[in-house]
Amino acid sequence: MPGSPAVLAKVKNAVTANWARLVLGLVSVSIFIASWALISVYLSESGSSLSPYVPGPLSVADAFVSSFVDSVPGLADTTMWDMISSSLIRVFWGFLLAMLVALPMGLAMGSFRVLDSMGKPLVEMFRPIPPLAWVPIFLMVFKSFWGPIGIVFLGVFFPILLNVIFGVKNVDQRLVDAARTLGAKRMTVFTKVVMPSIVPYMMTGIKVGLGVGWMCIVAAEMMPIQGGTGVGYYIWLSADYGRYDFTYATMLVIGLLSILTTGVAEMIEKRVSRWMGMR
Amino acid sequence: MDGDAMSVCIEIRGLSKVFTTGKRRVVALEGLDMDVADGEFVCLLGPSGCGKTTVLRIVAGLEPATGGSVLVHGKGVSSAGPERGMVFQEFALFPWRTVRRNIEFGLEIRGVPEGKRRAISSDLIDLVGLKGFEDAHPDELSGGMRQRVGIARALANEPTVLLMDEPFGSLDAQTRNLMQKELLRIWSATKKTVLFVTHSVDEAVFLADRIMVMTARPGKIREVIPVPLKRPRDRTSAEFIAVRGTVLAELDEEFEKARAKELSPD
Ligand SMILES: Nc1ncnc2c1ncn2[C@@H]1O[C@H](COP(=O)(O)OP(=O)(O)O)[C@@H](O)[C@H]1O
Ligand SMILES: [Mg+2]
Repeated sequence: MPGSPAVLAKVKNAVTANWARLVLGLVSVSIFIASWALISVYLSESGSSLSPYVPGPLSVADAFVSSFVDSVPGLADTTMWDMISSSLIRVFWGFLLAMLVALPMGLAMGSFRVLDSMGKPLVEMFRPIPPLAWVPIFLMVFKSFWGPIGIVFLGVFFPILLNVIFGVKNVDQRLVDAARTLGAKRMTVFTKVVMPSIVPYMMTGIKVGLGVGWMCIVAAEMMPIQGGTGVGYYIWLSADYGRYDFTYATMLVIGLLSILTTGVAEMIEKRVSRWMGMR
Repeated sequence: MDGDAMSVCIEIRGLSKVFTTGKRRVVALEGLDMDVADGEFVCLLGPSGCGKTTVLRIVAGLEPATGGSVLVHGKGVSSAGPERGMVFQEFALFPWRTVRRNIEFGLEIRGVPEGKRRAISSDLIDLVGLKGFEDAHPDELSGGMRQRVGIARALANEPTVLLMDEPFGSLDAQTRNLMQKELLRIWSATKKTVLFVTHSVDEAVFLADRIMVMTARPGKIREVIPVPLKRPRDRTSAEFIAVRGTVLAELDEEFEKARAKELSPD
């Protein structure tokens, strides 16, 4: 019952627990940043050769801010926004293409045993190859824009495909039976029972795929090629220029972007499952 | 017509069903005969594993028979169809659809226009007592309410037969009793033929015009017991207890046989 002492105590406990967690989290992060600053100062004071690789937290923060407002070192008229947008565009295309191929393929393989038996050996042959192994060939054949997109495609494709196949095979047979007794024929069962049933599985594939996609784009863009762009490219370029403060700032950007995209995917997932009445 | 006052709705002759999984062969049904009249409420009663669900699934057209014939209004059953509605023990509601959209499923796939669909589902929601829950999803409902949706969903197609497979089996005793009364009310309002599977003697005696007691596997009809009691039935009345005793005696014998068989397979 709301307002009863037991419930109030519970709520209070939960709030205290949350506060305790927040404080502990802040403590550990502060300790990390402080040690980082100390190590950085120590290395530079002692004239260590490692010193350039460990810029202090303040200079990284400074690089982070300046990369968004000024142009980044090494590239005239280019800011972090430009890097982000080229990478996002690539991830978007790679993701979209993977989705457009993996979804129908997964539905078909999950529905027809013949296609499953035919497709499975191919999938099992290509899936264990890390997408990054394709980088040299893809960059040579598809060049600097479509090459990384191809890598992202491979990274996103398999998680979605496998999850959709799994989803189709795990459709609740009782729901199929119910639909049939209500007059549904094969096609209707597919559109009105199978398709809605796989949505949660598909969302899992999308979330995993997006994570892999970000891993892929960074490495795929890192190749030192003519006319490179993107966050991955800038990781490499800034390091090449010895501007490690900007290298770390870009790493920070990539981490934030990854959190952002999976956050968006999770939000969509929640929306969809609530809209579908499943929690 | 064979001269009966009522016409036959379901006619089953020599029905057999063998399940083969790998090397294992299970003879689930053998030589099962059954007649159900139009508008009749028949309970199929038997020990678990005797093939009750299999009979319903074959009549529904979800499972092919191995041998014998199944006629519904003189027509052979070849596949599932909306004229034979089914209500499942585990409800089998579409979790992504609201109560109303679950009920409208059959109408929707038949292409009934939205306005008409709404009118029909509204009537059914009133009939099964779900007013105010039209837009709820199944996971927001109690077991009893979910089964009300299951019943309304089957009724929406205006089936001639309602096949019910232990529909109240997973409900608590009180809800179960309430749902039995509700079902009788709905039955008398809609005049459907009902083939109702249960393993509860009490439930069968409370509901049925006739009780068909099945034998242990391989299943067939052991005995048909009419229940000549007026409704609403009083579970504590002497007549009720007498019928209950008769059915129980029949069933007990089959339970013993089933147990003996379990202890010595083949
Ligand atoms: N799909 C199936 N494959 C193999 N055996 C089955 C299958 N369905 C049912 N059976 C077997 O047939 C027998 C009758 O099952 P069922 O009709 O579910 O019994 P009941 O509903 O009376 O409990 C059981 O022994 C069961 O194991
Ligand atoms: Mg059963």
